[in-house]
Amino acid sequence: MPTEYTQLVTAMKSLTQGTPPGTVITLPMAENEWNTRPDTESYGIISLDFEQDQMNGDDRKLVASYEGSVDLYSRGKSGSGWVEKIRNTLEDHCGACWSLNSHTYERETGLFHWEWTFEVM
Amino acid sequence: MPYTVSTSGMDDVNRMLKALGDDAGKVASAALYEGAGIMADAIQRGAESIATAPFKYASGGQTRLPSPEEKDIVTGKRRVGIAKFKTDGMDVDTSVGYGRSGYAMLAGRKVAVPLIANSINSGTTFMKKQPFFRKAASTGGKRATDAIRASIEKNLQEIIDKNGG
Repeated sequence: MPTEYTQLVTAMKSLTQGTPPGTVITLPMAENEWNTRPDTESYGIISLDFEQDQMNGDDRKLVASYEGSVDLYSRGKSGSGWVEKIRNTLEDHCGACWSLNSHTYERETGLFHWEWTFEVM
Repeated sequence: MPYTVSTSGMDDVNRMLKALGDDAGKVASAALYEGAGIMADAIQRGAESIATAPFKYASGGQTRLPSPEEKDIVTGKRRVGIAKFKTDGMDVDTSVGYGRSGYAMLAGRKVAVPLIANSINSGTTFMKKQPFFRKAASTGGKRATDAIRASIEKNLQEIIDKNGG
């Protein structure tokens, strides 16, 4: 696994917020998991999806970049405060390498879904 | 200290532009068609690699894989499409994807094809994510750009040769 990715996973798994005051909520963040529907207000999934590009030299792979994604599912229309936290974490870890790929609403479950993609080396 | 300015490059460009004349749009369209074809093929190949499992409602907090029927909807004929080219002088524009792929029948219900494609590509609370479209767009883009460039260079050279270089 690329180091940048493992660091990002650690950061995403430790996202917390203190609303209402006096409480600390951690965002349940699964990595590549099948079982990802805990009965919570919001939850996330992070995964490394595929190799995007590579640079070769001397018949060896010198550098490779990978594309991954972070998904946030939330009952809150504005992501219950997690949207900003995830965006900031992405910004801290890979600068401008990320973008919001889709934002949809699941009618069957009543959950809002954000999907960010990012690129790591 | 004297400076030398070489204009031989500019002469070539001028000759090329004169020779091109009204053919600019045609050259651009031909090149874009090559690139769009590569993108469409990449998306189609990606869709064909989607993993499936017989349909079962997702339960116990688990996601499920798309059923073979759902995969058929995404990989079927006339699904991945190339939009009609929009031409504006030397600019040609198109899009490749599921944008106008319409509707299909699934278990007796009418479903929108782009919706199924998106639920597999981005995942949902009950569908496992398989980013086939994103991968095709990401990795096929470079090949498409190369093909577009190669096509333009080839066609330009032909026009120049035809017009006596």
